[in-house]
Amino acid sequence: MIVGEKYSHKHRTEPPGSRQGPYGVGRYAAGLRDFLRERPRVQLFGEVWNLRLSRAKVYLELRDAEGALPCSIWRNDFDALRLGEGALADGAQVVVAGGLDYYAGSRTSSPSFTFAVSGLRVAGEGDLLAQLDRLRKTLDGEGLFALQKRLARRTLPRTIGVVTGESGKARDDVIAGLRRRGWQGRLVWAFAPVQDRHAAPRITAALQDLAATGEVDVIVVARGGGSLADLFCFCDETLCRTVALLGVPVIASVGHHTDRTLIDDVAALACSTPTHAAESAVPVHCAEARAEVLAVAGRLSVHARRALLHRAQALGRLSRAPGEHVAGERRRLHQRMREIRAAGRRRVEHERGRSRRKALVLDRKARAGAGDARGAAQLNALAMALAAHDPDRALERGYALVTDRDGEVVTSASAARATGDVRLRFGDGVVGATITDDDDRA
Amino acid sequence: MTVPEPPGERLTYEAATARLEEIIKRLDSGEAGLRETLELCREGRTLVELCAAELEAVGRGLEELRLDDLVARLQAGAGD
Repeated sequence: MIVGEKYSHKHRTEPPGSRQGPYGVGRYAAGLRDFLRERPRVQLFGEVWNLRLSRAKVYLELRDAEGALPCSIWRNDFDALRLGEGALADGAQVVVAGGLDYYAGSRTSSPSFTFAVSGLRVAGEGDLLAQLDRLRKTLDGEGLFALQKRLARRTLPRTIGVVTGESGKARDDVIAGLRRRGWQGRLVWAFAPVQDRHAAPRITAALQDLAATGEVDVIVVARGGGSLADLFCFCDETLCRTVALLGVPVIASVGHHTDRTLIDDVAALACSTPTHAAESAVPVHCAEARAEVLAVAGRLSVHARRALLHRAQALGRLSRAPGEHVAGERRRLHQRMREIRAAGRRRVEHERGRSRRKALVLDRKARAGAGDARGAAQLNALAMALAAHDPDRALERGYALVTDRDGEVVTSASAARATGDVRLRFGDGVVGATITDDDDRA
Repeated sequence: MTVPEPPGERLTYEAATARLEEIIKRLDSGEAGLRETLELCREGRTLVELCAAELEAVGRGLEELRLDDLVARLQAGAGD
């Protein structure tokens, strides 16, 4: 097959001169038609655009963020769908079943490529949710859900940007929420369609423009409730990536919590109502905050006064301190002097008594010493007298003491004769002697 | 001690209120000396003035304008 071979090698770089053909274009176009018709039949999901009804066929384009495909359905088949008035209009999300087809044209008619639709239904929630789930996982996997949540949100923004529909009720709800907070700053409206296929690019542009001013502190994206199909523009991948990467915090309030769109996931905060979103944009109640600031100012004044009072008291204490110190020292000195005087007197009395006692002792000792000298002299005299009368001293000088045998002193010659035998005691010993009657005294 | 402020950026309301809470807590503790107390009171009064100015800025009456008007106003301001 010519077309099949060419298709399978379409990306190959072929050397010059190696190309097949030339073929007749009609034959090639017919081969292309056959090739496309042999492709597997599939179901496609997308948004209807450029819907045109003709007598024989209904033409439309099926689009999404990544591409588009021309589609056609025979008018009889289309009418048999019984979709109802207005059910299929530009912006509708549909699921089509069919396969590729190619009208080869002719010498007098133009060729055309189409996706031949054999079945079509307006997309149900299940289709949308499946698509949403895939995209949610992709964005979450890239970490895009966390970026906005890391941004610091001001508790008292001066300028708030709001992206919403110009005629929607969400606009009034945002103002009501801000009034409830007592906030009366600058509100910048960036109106954009909030439904259909035009919405996502316009909302994206509005967000980028608001952030680009550098004036807004926070952006509220608000839309009232609706079906998931109505809110599907807030699941647009480009819009959600833009929000995730925006440097200004975005508070989303799209539909209700039961209809969680992707912008709710990527935004800094998701609220159930525009009123709640507005209140979240201004976390503080301005009137209460003013009262709190006044209270803080009052407490600061109290602390300052108290501190000054304490300082004055401290200074007063310090100024009095030297005089009190001197007086105290004077009192202490007087007390010391009294103590010293008393101690002196006590000491003098003590020393006086002690001296008296010593004098008395000395006196007694002196008297006692004088008595001893006199006694000694008398004793010496007596000793000398005794020594003078000591018979031993006479014996030492050559005298002899005559005693009888019993030791009685013989003091006369007659006694000696009477005794007969006597004993003579000399200084160095005793000898016996016999008295004779010879008288040599003549 | 003051809250470190990024160069070229004014102190935000939330940073000012957070610092004020710290100051009041410190003063209420009674642990601050005389000099520190007076310095904290002086810093606190500055922060109170800042907070009051921020509250004043969002209390003069709601000003609504379209994004196009804001852009035009900014461009006019840049052209002056």
